[in-house]
Amino acid sequence: MRLFWLEIYKTFSRWRTYIGFGFIALVVLLTEVVMKLSAVEILNRMMRSTQKDFLIFGNVLNGWFVTAFIMNTLHIHIPFLIALVAGDIVSGEATSGTVRFLLIRPPSRVKIIAAKYVATLFYTTGLVIFLGLVCILPGLALFGSGDLIIHHFGKFGVVFIPEVEIPVRMLFAFMAAIWSMTAVASIAFLLSTLVENSIGPIIGTMAVVIVFLVIGNFPFDFFATLKPYLFTTYMVFWQRFLDDPIPWQEIVKSAAILGLHSLGLFFIAFGAYARKDIKS
Amino acid sequence: MLLCLLWVPFLFSPGLLQAQEEGARTLDALQKKYSGLKDYTVDVNVHFDVEGFKAPDMQAKLYCKPPDKMKIESKRIFFLPKEGGTFNPFMFNKEDFEVKLLERLTYEGRNVVKLKLTPKKRKLNAQDFILTVDTDRHLIREMNTSSFDGREVKALIEYGNFGDFDLPTRIELHLNVQFSESMEIRDFGPSAQPAKRVTGRVDITYSNYKVNSGLSDEIFKERESLVPKGR
Repeated sequence: MRLFWLEIYKTFSRWRTYIGFGFIALVVLLTEVVMKLSAVEILNRMMRSTQKDFLIFGNVLNGWFVTAFIMNTLHIHIPFLIALVAGDIVSGEATSGTVRFLLIRPPSRVKIIAAKYVATLFYTTGLVIFLGLVCILPGLALFGSGDLIIHHFGKFGVVFIPEVEIPVRMLFAFMAAIWSMTAVASIAFLLSTLVENSIGPIIGTMAVVIVFLVIGNFPFDFFATLKPYLFTTYMVFWQRFLDDPIPWQEIVKSAAILGLHSLGLFFIAFGAYARKDIKS
Repeated sequence: MLLCLLWVPFLFSPGLLQAQEEGARTLDALQKKYSGLKDYTVDVNVHFDVEGFKAPDMQAKLYCKPPDKMKIESKRIFFLPKEGGTFNPFMFNKEDFEVKLLERLTYEGRNVVKLKLTPKKRKLNAQDFILTVDTDRHLIREMNTSSFDGREVKALIEYGNFGDFDLPTRIELHLNVQFSESMEIRDFGPSAQPAKRVTGRVDITYSNYKVNSGLSDEIFKERESLVPKGR
């Protein structure tokens, strides 16, 4: 436990840890202000199809809608912010020359690597919770509350979620987002144990995420067959909590696949760290 | 040109003129029946059974002041079908439409006529209406609309008597419309799908009518809108 708090202290002593929080605060608040100023245009665009056939009354562009909108937009960028810290947490010791000092001390490598991994997950969780708070609190203050109308891009149909159900669904959605980002953090963590500089793991993680996303979304049959084997396919399973009915089976499957990825990547990282040669 | 000229005698044939006059008279009778209707308030419940549209029943209070004032009051988001979702006997003004009598028939044991209404002013969203009008009670029983982009709506209307007026208690709408994607939620995912035809049924029930209660015009000034207040 002491090791864990030590890792947390080290992580939050670095200025780069706060880049993620700063970026999220800036982008989310800017988006919300722009959405507030362009409310009419946004509403007309988003309801264009539905407005042909229906008269629509009530607060459609509310804080919950804005939260869902921003989450969809940012889930490509958050992995980069996670990799920024997770990619540095082990390799940073080598860069700063403290790795030998760390590994000749009494705590075993198992404990050290476990503490670093838990600290990585702590940061990941904190970042996603921060995203949630920055989206929801100013969102509700600026746009008010209301029912949530969701149209998942690329899927036919409109889902209407009553206001009373939204907080619980959002809670589950953010928990699912944390779970997804854990897989990304685990990749960065693994890469961080393999090299001795931080840039490689950060760029490497982003390369993996982007390549997998691109492959998974190419409209060709060959790539479609690969899609189930890419972890990025399951990363957006948080969106399923905003479906009606909630597809629990799909959610459990996605969570299990991502969990196995995280676990597997951690064990590989542990294996690599256990064999790490610090004498040369 | 010659072909056009051949049609001229038929255009002015007594039968055709008579049918047009009868259609216009039917519309007149409809409006006359409701001429004493100054305003009404009613609770509306909308039930959707439309493919791909997953929504619970929606409730609202509807304020209406014929010929053209309407307001919806709802604490939550409320969707009301544009065509056939509200009852306005004054929307079919004979001055605004070419009226053509299509046929006479019986509908649930009553005499009805089928009228085709074509807007005189062709606007972008102009559409033809086919009305089935009960000529005994002067009531619109069915309304069919079709627009240039292939949207089709059929409304079946049931009435009850409230304060000397026959007003709808239930409107059953059958939709066959085009649905295309908009940008509500966009992610790094599959690309937009082509527009799709959507069919379904919407049941609108009306209850607690208050007729001619003297609604003030002020009520209609502040429209409940999509856009949040304080913007």
